[in-house]
Amino acid sequence: MNSSSGVQKRSVRTFAMAGMILIFIAYMFPFLMVVINSLKQKRDIIKSPFSWLFTVKGLSFDNFVKAFNQMDFLNAIKNSLIITVSATAIVTILAAMLAYFIVRNNNMLTRIIFALMVASMIIPFQAIMIPLVSIYGGTLNLLNHRLTLIFMHVGFSMSMTVFMFHGFIRGSVPIALEEAAYLDGCTHTQTFFKIVFPLLKPIMSTTLILNALAFWNDFLLPSLVLTDKKLLTLPLSTYSFYGTYSADYGTIMAGLLLCVVPLLILYIALQKQIINGVVAGAVK
Amino acid sequence: MMKLRQWKRTAAIGLSTVLAVTSLSGCRFGFASDPDDENDTVKEEPIDTSVDTFAYDESLQGTKITLLNSKAEIQVALEKMSKIFEEKAGVHIEVMPVTEGDSPYTKVVSMYNSGNAPTMAILDTTDVKALADEKALVLDGEDWVKEAGNYATEIQGHIFSMPLCVEGKGIIYNKKVIEETLGRNLNPDEINTLDGFKALLNEMRDAGMEKPVSLAKEDWSLGAHHLQYLYETYDGTSEGAAKAVEDLENGQLKVKDYQRVSQLLDLFDVLKEYNVAQGDPLGADYDEMAIDLVDGKTAFWFNGNWAWPNMQEAGAKSDDEYGFLPYFLNNDPDDFVNTKIQAAPSKQVMLDGQQASKEQQDAAKEFLNWIVFSEIGQQMLVKTCNLIPAFKNNPNEPLDPLSRDIFEKVQTDRTYNAAAVVPNDHWSVLGAAMQKYLADRCDREELMDAIQNYWDEQ
Amino acid sequence: MNTKRKGKDFCIFALPGLFCFLAVVIVPFLYGVYLTLTDWNGVSSVKNFVGLKNFAAMAKDAQFWSSLVLTFKYVIAVVVLVNVLAFLIAYLLTRGFKGQNFFRAGFFTPNLIGGIVLGYIWQFVFSRVFVSIGEATDWNLFEISWLSKPNTAFAAMVLVTVWQLSGYMILIYVAGFTGLDTEVMEAASIDGASGWKKMKNIILPLMMPSITICLFLTLSRAFMVYDVNLSLTGGAPYGSTEMAAMHVYEKAFTSRQFGTGQAEAIVLFLIVACISGIQVYITKKKEVAA
Repeated sequence: MNSSSGVQKRSVRTFAMAGMILIFIAYMFPFLMVVINSLKQKRDIIKSPFSWLFTVKGLSFDNFVKAFNQMDFLNAIKNSLIITVSATAIVTILAAMLAYFIVRNNNMLTRIIFALMVASMIIPFQAIMIPLVSIYGGTLNLLNHRLTLIFMHVGFSMSMTVFMFHGFIRGSVPIALEEAAYLDGCTHTQTFFKIVFPLLKPIMSTTLILNALAFWNDFLLPSLVLTDKKLLTLPLSTYSFYGTYSADYGTIMAGLLLCVVPLLILYIALQKQIINGVVAGAVK
Repeated sequence: MMKLRQWKRTAAIGLSTVLAVTSLSGCRFGFASDPDDENDTVKEEPIDTSVDTFAYDESLQGTKITLLNSKAEIQVALEKMSKIFEEKAGVHIEVMPVTEGDSPYTKVVSMYNSGNAPTMAILDTTDVKALADEKALVLDGEDWVKEAGNYATEIQGHIFSMPLCVEGKGIIYNKKVIEETLGRNLNPDEINTLDGFKALLNEMRDAGMEKPVSLAKEDWSLGAHHLQYLYETYDGTSEGAAKAVEDLENGQLKVKDYQRVSQLLDLFDVLKEYNVAQGDPLGADYDEMAIDLVDGKTAFWFNGNWAWPNMQEAGAKSDDEYGFLPYFLNNDPDDFVNTKIQAAPSKQVMLDGQQASKEQQDAAKEFLNWIVFSEIGQQMLVKTCNLIPAFKNNPNEPLDPLSRDIFEKVQTDRTYNAAAVVPNDHWSVLGAAMQKYLADRCDREELMDAIQNYWDEQ
Repeated sequence: MNTKRKGKDFCIFALPGLFCFLAVVIVPFLYGVYLTLTDWNGVSSVKNFVGLKNFAAMAKDAQFWSSLVLTFKYVIAVVVLVNVLAFLIAYLLTRGFKGQNFFRAGFFTPNLIGGIVLGYIWQFVFSRVFVSIGEATDWNLFEISWLSKPNTAFAAMVLVTVWQLSGYMILIYVAGFTGLDTEVMEAASIDGASGWKKMKNIILPLMMPSITICLFLTLSRAFMVYDVNLSLTGGAPYGSTEMAAMHVYEKAFTSRQFGTGQAEAIVLFLIVACISGIQVYITKKKEVAA
C-alpha cells in the first residue's frame, strides 16, 4: 500500500467522520431542546425556546415535581416494569421456540405459518383495534388486567420476533451441534435449551431491546386495555399534560425525561453486555 | 475507556439521584425565580362545605360508577369533586380521561365494545346524538330538567343528557390595552356593526398597533367555532340552527344564496387583514396568542371562555378587564348577531342505559342532581371546575373575567343560545377548507364551493 | 422422525407462540374483515350483511386515494433516506474507532421515545425553535414554520421519520457488519480490492440479509405511519399531509363511517402486503445468489 493512497484514505475517513459527527449533533438537537425547556416556565418556552440562561422566570425543577406528582410516577413505573419485563421475557422464549421449530421442520405447514406471520406484520393496528376490544372486552370480559395486556403485547410482537430469530437460526446455528446432542441422548427440549438457546444470544440482545422499548413506550394498546388508574403505565400517565386546546410543554418534557431516564440508565448499564452479545454472535 | 465508562455510569446515577431528590423535596433553584410570585401558583378557591341540605340516598352507599371526561382541563377538578361526593354520598366515582390521540367518540365506542361502558360520559352534543338511540338513558323526569330551561337538549323528543356548563365565544378584547393604545375610554357596547369594529381596528392601527388581532389556525377553531356561526345565526335558536343544517343537507338551501356565508367571510376577511401572524397565518401558535393578548402585543383574539387557563398562565389576573365582542356579521345594528354573543351548553353528560346496573344509574342520577342542587356541588362546579353553570338556581358567580362577562350577558339577555348539531367530520373537513382560505390558497368562490360540496355529500 | 414425535414437538415448541399470535392478531383481523361486509357502525347492536357496499364507498372516497398517493411518495423518500443513512453510519460505527459505542448509543436514543410524544416534541421544534432561530438570524429556511406549507410539512414528516427509524436500522446494520467474516474482509483488502469496489462486490452481497430485513421494516413502518402523523402535523395544513393510515382512522371515527374505514384498512393491508412481498422476494433472491 503506497503512502499517497494512505493519505487519501485517511482524508476520506476524516471527512466521513466529520460528517457523521455533524449528523450526530443534529440527532441530539431535539433532546437538547427537551432538556433545556423542561427546566423553564411555559411562557419562556413559547417565547424564547432557544435561550437558556436569561429567561424571565429562570430555571427550576418545578416541571419535574409537577410531572412526578401528576403521573403518580412510582406506581406508573412499577406497572411499566412489570408489564415490560414479563412480556419481553415471554415473547423471547416463545418466539425463539417457534422460530426454531419452523426452521428445523421445513414443510407446507410451517411455511404457511411463517408466511402468515410475515404478512401479519403489516396489518395496520387500526384494522384490528375495534374487533380486538370487542372480542376481549365485550365477549370475554378480560380487559383491565395486566395479564391481558402482557398477553396482547406477546401476541403482537410475536411475528416480528419470530422473523428475526428465524433469519438468525437459519443463518448462524449449525445443525451439527444439535445432531451431536441427540447422539448423546438429549431430547428435543433439552437440546433446544442447552445448545440452541445460548447460541441465540446475539440476536436476542437485539430483540430484547426492541421489544422492551416497544412495550415501554406503547400508548394505543394499553390505553384500550387499561382504564383502571392503578394499572396505568408511564406513557398513559402523562395524559393530563395534554389539554383539549393546548399542551403543557414544560411538564410534557419533564415527564418525557422521567420516562426515558430509567431506560437510559438501563441502556448505559447494559451497553457492554449488549455490544458484547452482538460481537460474540459475530465471532461464531 | 474504562474511565469514560465509569464516568458515564456515575453521571447517570448522579442524574437520577438529583432528579429523585429534587422531585421529592420540591426544591427549586434558578436565576430569577421568586417562590412567592403569585403567578406561579394558581390559588385555589376554598369550598364551603359547612352547609349541605342535599338529601342523599342511603341505599346507594358503596356503589361504584365511572365518569368519562373529555374535557382534559377539568380532570383534576373533577377528581376533587368526586372525592367530596364520595365522602358525602358514599358513592365512588372513577374519573377517566380521554387520552391524547384519542377522540371522545372513539373512546366511548371502544369502551362500549369492551363491555366497560362508562356510567357517565361528558360528550359533545353530536356524540350524544349518535349514541342516544341505543345506549343512553332517558332523563326526561329528572328534577334538574326544569331548572335547565332551554339549555336542555332534546333529541327525538327526549332528554338524553344534562348540560354540564355554558360556553360562550366571540372576539375577546383586552380593554386596558385598547384604552392605553387609543388614549381614551372604550365602551364595548357602542360597537354594534362590522363597520364600527373595522373603525376601531383602524383607529388602533393609526395609534401604532399595526396588527391588533390574533387568529387561530387550528381546524377546530376555524371549522367548528367560526363556521358554526353559519347555522347558529340562522335565527339565533337551536331550532333555527337545526333547520339551517337540514336545509343545507337536503339541498333546499344553497350556500351561495345563504347570506350568512358571505357575511361571515366579510368578518373573517377583516380579522385576516389585521392578523398579527399575517406573514405566516398557518404558523400561528395558540399559546403565543394568549401571551400576546395578555402582554398587549395584540388586543383581540377570536376564542371562547375556555381560553382563560391559557391567558392565566400567560399572566392575566382575574380582576383584569377582558370581555367578548359579538361576532359582527353586517352593518345592521338591529340584527341580533351584532349585539349578542353566542353562548350555549356544549358539553353534555350522558348516562349509560345499557350496561350499567340500576344502582349505578341511580347513583349517577344522584351525582347530576348533586351538581345542580347541592350547595357543595354548585360551588364546586363554578369554583373548582371554573365552569359557567347552565342552571339558573346556581348562585355562584364565575371567577374569571371571560366567564363573568358571559354570565352577565346571559343574565341581561345579551346572548343567544343556538347549538348547531352538524355531522361529526364538519370541523375537520371544512376546517381544512378554511385553513386554505386563511392562507390565501383559495378564494371566496372556491371556499363556498367546498362548503356546498360538503353538504351535497351528506 | 416419526409423526408422533413431531406432533409432540409442535405442541411444545410451536403451539404456545402460535396461540398468542392467532388469538391476538389473526382472529381479530378476520373478525375485522367480516365487519367490512356489514353495516355495523361501531356502536349499534345489530349488524346487517351488506356485501361489498363498503368497498364501493371506498372506491368513491377520493381523499383515500390521494392519501395513498401521498403515502407512496413518503414511503419512497423514507425508505431510501433511512437505509442509505443507516447503512453508512453503521459502516463507520464498525470501523473500531474510540468512542464508537457512545455514538451507537446516541443514534439509538430517538427510539427511546414513543411515537406520539416524539411528534409533539418535533412539532415544538418546528413551530417554535426553528421559527425563533429564523427570527434571530433572518435565515429564509426557517422564516415561516415548516408545518404551515404542504411541501415543507411533508418534508418535516420525512425528516422526523428518518430521524427516528434510522437509529433502529443502524442497530440492525451494525449487527450485520460485526457479523461479517473478518477474514473475508482482510482477504479482499490484500487482493487490492478497495473503496467502492470492495463495497459493491464484497460487502453489499454479504450484507444482503440485513438489507432485506431493514428494507422490509422501513417499508411496512413507513406505510403504516400513524403516531407521528397524528401528533406532528395532524394532517395540517388543510389535510395535505394526511397519510393513508391516518385517513383510515379519521374515516372510521371522525366521519363515523366505520365500515368504509375498516374496508380501507384492509385494502391498505393488501397493498402493503404485495409491495413488501415483492421486495422480500427480490432481495432474498440476491441473498441466495451471493
